[in-house]
Amino acid sequence: MGRKAQKNDSLPGSLDMLILRTLSLRDLHGYGIVQFIQQSSDNELLVEEGSLYPALQRLELNGWINGIWGVTSTNRRARIYKITAAGRKQLAAETRKYAKLTLAIARVMGTE
Amino acid sequence: MLMRRLRYWTESARRSEALREEMELHLAEKAAELEADGMTAESAQAEARRRFGNVGLKREDSREIWTTRLLSELEQDVRYGMRTMTANKAFSALAVLLLALGIGANTAIYSFMESILLRSLPVGDPESLVVLNWHSRPPQEGNKEWVHVMHGIQGHFWPGDKGALASGIFPYPALETLREENPVFSTLFGYFNGLHRTLAVRGQATSASAEYVTGEYFRGLEVSAAAGRLISAEDDRPGATAVAVISFATSQNRFGGPANAIGQSILVDNIPFTVIGVTPPEFFGVDPAAAPDLYLPLRTNLLTDGPEAARVYSDGNFYWIEMMGRLRPGVTMAQAQAALAPRFRQWVATTAKTEGERAKLPALILNPGAEGLGSLRRQYSKPLYVLLVMVGLILALACANIANLLLARAAARRREIAVRLSLGAGRFRVVRQLLTESVMLASLGGAFGVLFAMWGMRTLTLLLSNGQENFTLHAELNWKVLGVTAALSVICGLLFGLAPAIQSTRPDVMPTLKDGRGGGPRRRAQHVLVVAQIAISFLIMVAAGLFVRTLNKLHSVQLGYARENILLFTLNARQAGHREPEMTTFYANLRKRLESIPGVSSATLSQSSIISAGSAGGAYRGTMKIGAATIAGAGVMAAGPRFLTTMQIPILAGREIDERDQAGSPPVAVISERLARIYFGNENPLGRRITFEDDKRDLEIVGVSANVRYGGLKGDGGSMTVFAAARQFPSDRVTYALRVAGDPPSYVRSVREIVREADSRIPVTNVATQAAEIDRTISREITFSKLCAGFAVLALLIACVGLYGTMSYNVARQIGEIGTRMALGAQRGAVLWMVLRRALILAAVGLAISVPIALIAFRLVKSFLFETQPNDPGTLALAGALLLSAAILAGYAPARRASRIDPLAALRHE
Repeated sequence: MGRKAQKNDSLPGSLDMLILRTLSLRDLHGYGIVQFIQQSSDNELLVEEGSLYPALQRLELNGWINGIWGVTSTNRRARIYKITAAGRKQLAAETRKYAKLTLAIARVMGTE
Repeated sequence: MLMRRLRYWTESARRSEALREEMELHLAEKAAELEADGMTAESAQAEARRRFGNVGLKREDSREIWTTRLLSELEQDVRYGMRTMTANKAFSALAVLLLALGIGANTAIYSFMESILLRSLPVGDPESLVVLNWHSRPPQEGNKEWVHVMHGIQGHFWPGDKGALASGIFPYPALETLREENPVFSTLFGYFNGLHRTLAVRGQATSASAEYVTGEYFRGLEVSAAAGRLISAEDDRPGATAVAVISFATSQNRFGGPANAIGQSILVDNIPFTVIGVTPPEFFGVDPAAAPDLYLPLRTNLLTDGPEAARVYSDGNFYWIEMMGRLRPGVTMAQAQAALAPRFRQWVATTAKTEGERAKLPALILNPGAEGLGSLRRQYSKPLYVLLVMVGLILALACANIANLLLARAAARRREIAVRLSLGAGRFRVVRQLLTESVMLASLGGAFGVLFAMWGMRTLTLLLSNGQENFTLHAELNWKVLGVTAALSVICGLLFGLAPAIQSTRPDVMPTLKDGRGGGPRRRAQHVLVVAQIAISFLIMVAAGLFVRTLNKLHSVQLGYARENILLFTLNARQAGHREPEMTTFYANLRKRLESIPGVSSATLSQSSIISAGSAGGAYRGTMKIGAATIAGAGVMAAGPRFLTTMQIPILAGREIDERDQAGSPPVAVISERLARIYFGNENPLGRRITFEDDKRDLEIVGVSANVRYGGLKGDGGSMTVFAAARQFPSDRVTYALRVAGDPPSYVRSVREIVREADSRIPVTNVATQAAEIDRTISREITFSKLCAGFAVLALLIACVGLYGTMSYNVARQIGEIGTRMALGAQRGAVLWMVLRRALILAAVGLAISVPIALIAFRLVKSFLFETQPNDPGTLALAGALLLSAAILAGYAPARRASRIDPLAALRHE
């Protein structure tokens, strides 16, 4: 399994939020999402790569994202994911929840 | 959500493939990136895989998001169930066999019910069809005099609610009245059953069933032709060209296909008709019991039945035509009834001639017409319900038996289950797994049951039709029936699986793990099940006993005439164009020629066979008098020469009817002994006279015959018979009887030959031996006693297996105890008796429960019995004795085994 130290397991369920956020910026295929999260977090967050696919399936089942066959930058066939309107709503809800949660944790930890 | 999930299921293979491709792409890109960072291709790939984790597992995880846990667990359960089933082959085979018999029998009976009671007519929008019926107080009340606006009938009536008379036949003017400006029906059409007609196609004559229909019939039913066109209003006018529509089957049998039939000329009762159309293959008219071969315009009965038939169109007191209507859109049956009933009442009041008739005018009632006429339903629904209860009991018996076997097996699996429970399996989860197993068993039983049902349906059709030529009742395995079978299987599985499953997952895990032997409650459950089996099989055996006894009683009815070595067949010369007085001469000459067939010792003719004389109606139905005394309850049979000789009815005095009794000679009669005894006492009746008042004829009594059972076996014993001479009381249709040496059917060929030589336009119909003709009238009783005897044997077997299994299991469980007893000096005989006694007690308790049930329940089938009381003590005692001896037999083997236990070995075992 991935490197435990920086694995994204500090906040359960946050992977869904991260994926939705990523897709709200641009349409990407699976590997692209991993890379984007990694890069935009300055390599602080490492997505457990295997867990990405169950998460994608879950999001698709909920109707928050849609996968369509397309072509990557390296010109290979891949499933490109798009966020749906419902997905944006969900992202907004999760963002609010996340903000509340981090604020609360920060208060308890006395960092605020 | 659900829809998406369902879509996933349908696309499951494609989606799984897409997922694999996605993951591979991911690994490839990762590897490429690592390679770009300076790794070798090989180690980059390995590293990519390592970082990804277990590819297969992740794929499973991804897939499981779409499917559900429930489904995957079901798959586990099924797989596990399959393993346990194959591990216990003998048990599984027995259970599946029992269930197949039970479910198969239920499916077969249900398919008949479905075809008779539930299926809609194969016509357009059957739901908006209504049948017109009426009911009134019965015509004969108390004084036995017929008082009713219905003066003449051609058709049927049946008992309605509370002793009322119900019928579907109307006078023709009623049809006309209701048809005028009808606000509730879009069409109203009429029809009547033309019974059997002689249909000649290219010189080949056969008997065909005909339906006379009004011009709106096919339009009203919304049926369209398979070829040609159907009868329309233009065809149903006096003087229109005679046209006919034939059934699809007739077109195939007689013309080689629907297209070939159009425009062909045929002879119906020797009258030329032109075939204009063929009905669709699935169409059978409006009566599921009839399935006509021919449809003729109503008014062509003026051609086939002669001009005298014209009076039925104007006579308001002659009831004959049946009616159906199609409701206008949006009109309910209740509204239609409210609109038409007053109109009919008003009309029918004008036909009443006396106060008595006015007092019991018929009232119109509408019934749903979607399922066609109720004749089959009235005839078969009650017997089918009785059979359904019987097979339901058989299935309950099978379920109880399997539940018992499962309980015994649960003992063996108790440890396994206890281990699973103690390792943390949820109780519900384990129960579900056990139920999956039993439902699987049941489904397998159901699948084999369908095969058994197919065989059963064929047999049942054969039994019910009982040699009838065009038997129209055809059951089939359609989706509705199969659905019921499937539901039945699942319910059975749950039923017999639930108790054992709950029993064996009781939370007291510890004692079981320690001990490994079964406890008290299961034994009690087992005993309850055995008692139930005994009780149910007793009920089935009593039913069988009652029906077999009924049949025996019917077979031992004194006929007074020969049953064996008689060949019967029927001819209708009128339908081939013969007319009086030539017709009686034709019949008489034919009789002589038949008598000359080698092996035929005598030949005779009569207006019908003796057994069906009651339903066919006598040769004379009016008032009969001897002197001043009116004869009540005597049947008149028109018979030809040598009738008594052929039927072996002893002649007690005088002579029988013979060649001397010609049409022009003085009319004569032969009376039965009972009639002579009642009306003449000890005087000599020869030379005295019987007066047929309505015919204004005096018959001279020339002979006295022994008593004869006139009419059906079940009638109230009409042994008062008057035999009149067939030539003096001619009928269109006659039944010949030949007394033959050897096997009657072997003479059929010569008979057909002779009739064809005499007139090839006359088909030979209703060919049967006297014995078969008699059996035909009691076919229901024969069917019931055969089926129920089979059921009873089956039930007894199942109950014995159950009892045997339980006793064996108990003995095995008590080896230690018995061993101890024997070591302490118990005799083998005492041990044997101990086990046997237990079997007998179980049987006795079962009997004690079911005897009162039998006494109450069998009152319901009283109408099926003949000279047998529903609480017939002999039958009850016999069934009880049989069951007890079977219990002893089933208990003996385990008891013997118990008595042979070696105390030393048993104690060591402990």
